[in-house]
Amino acid sequence: MKRRVVLVDDHELFLAGVRSELGGAVDVVGEAASAAEAVPVIKELDPDVVLLDVHLPDGSGDAIINAVAPERPGVRFLALSVSDAAEDVIAVIRAGARGYVTKTISGEELTAAIERVASGDAVFSPRLAGFVLDAFREGERVGGDTELDELTPREREVLQLIARGYMYKEIAARLHLSVKTVESHVSNVLRKLQLSTRHELTRWATQHRLV
Amino acid sequence: MPLPSFALGSDDRVIAGVCAGIAQTLGVDVTLVRLVFALLALAGGAGIVLYLALWLYGRSDRPWWAAVLVLLAGSLLLHAVGLSDRAVAGIALVAGGFALAWRQGGKFSADAPLSYGGLVLAGIGAVLLLEGGGATTTVLAPGAVAGALLLIAGPWLWRLAIERDAERAARIRSEERSEVAARVHDSVLQTLALIQRHAQEPRRVAALARRQERELRGWLYGDRALGDEAGSLEAALSAVAADVEELHGVRVELATAGDSPADDALVLAAREAMTNAAKFAGVDEIDVYAEVTDDAVSVFVRDRGAGFDRDAVPADRRGLTESIDGRLARAGGSATISSAPGQGTEVELRLPRRPS
Repeated sequence: MKRRVVLVDDHELFLAGVRSELGGAVDVVGEAASAAEAVPVIKELDPDVVLLDVHLPDGSGDAIINAVAPERPGVRFLALSVSDAAEDVIAVIRAGARGYVTKTISGEELTAAIERVASGDAVFSPRLAGFVLDAFREGERVGGDTELDELTPREREVLQLIARGYMYKEIAARLHLSVKTVESHVSNVLRKLQLSTRHELTRWATQHRLV
Repeated sequence: MPLPSFALGSDDRVIAGVCAGIAQTLGVDVTLVRLVFALLALAGGAGIVLYLALWLYGRSDRPWWAAVLVLLAGSLLLHAVGLSDRAVAGIALVAGGFALAWRQGGKFSADAPLSYGGLVLAGIGAVLLLEGGGATTTVLAPGAVAGALLLIAGPWLWRLAIERDAERAARIRSEERSEVAARVHDSVLQTLALIQRHAQEPRRVAALARRQERELRGWLYGDRALGDEAGSLEAALSAVAADVEELHGVRVELATAGDSPADDALVLAAREAMTNAAKFAGVDEIDVYAEVTDDAVSVFVRDRGAGFDRDAVPADRRGLTESIDGRLARAGGSATISSAPGQGTEVELRLPRRPS
């Protein structure tokens, strides 16, 4: 069955581009150009995945997630961004988005990312992986919940390979793991990224751009 | 006519930030302003009252109280320099009257009743001043004349200053505008023209668009990659990646974790690895990842292209051996190249960090 997708972006040209690139691979059931428009549309259509622009004229993506998530827990969000500050991208991910891709992503990769997010996994771009590795540097632990504030050596390896441009399948082959295991490592990292109280997350994000 | 705006200084305050605010508004040194207030404070406490007045004015919720306090401060000052009570009262009435009249629309308009009231007050003040001046006023006549001149010329000077500020602001705006126009013309419009001309060559169009994107982003956001931290590894790799993209029409995805000062050998070797991938792998995209840890800097250059058998590379093709291996070895690092026909290539460059 095709995934039902809602696109939220205020750039008409970009929406048209994504729509044609996704072709018949997913079912684009709705579109919205602003946060105010998006919330009722998403609530009504209850899609599998929302492709969410990080910045909208009337607010940022995290506000939409916060407004929708309590009522529609099944909806998954994938953040799309052109040139936003890492701070904003991290805010959207911490609000609950299951991944982040740049707008220059190819149609094929975007379709794969939507599929991955729809099935509950996480999507990290190489840059986001680099960010997480940097923010969760070893030996800089600061109080808080240790489990959430540290990456396991395996998670580190997986992220490193993502940053190096490996696909999940290639990572699995290289580390002699199953693709499912790789996916669960990435999902764990996403959870840590969302829940960790490490102050590096915000400090780093304010100093960097992800794209 | 609008009164000049004035905000209490919050960063540099000692009491309520009045001196800091004035210094900022006038663009003078705050110490000088403080000194003036201190001297005025010695003159019968005029400085203290004036400080209070400006504080009220700066809070901008009680401008009338502020005006009254300014008047009081002026009176105290005049009293302190030796004017008789009568003369002080006269001058205060003249000043207050003119202020009242002037406030009604910035000029002495005939249809505002308060203007008349102000003029009448000023008249009474003038009579008081002339009648009761006597011996004391003659001594201080120059001061009184100066005060009168100031009252007359003050509003005019004030307006002049404001007009000058407005002109300057307009000039700055137009300068900024032409800078933006020049920038857009030199970059965006040129690129768009090139794209139209090369519309049939998608790779070239993509490369042009990507280069333009980098430039524009660097300019708009002052990207670290373009200038701010020239000399950092990330900036250097980003510049190299942009070059390779432009020369060979590929996309280079750069990811980093950590940053350090750039090492020339490492950056040049990375450039060579990217160039090789762009030339020989036959792919559209190259992934580059740089990682800085406590003891080493690593750069990974990876493509999913043709791959090759290293033993089959003819000895005269020195690219790999000389530019990558040799260069890094001389710098104390190492290069690992993993590739197999059909499986893509990954070059790992590793350079131990010198203890700094």
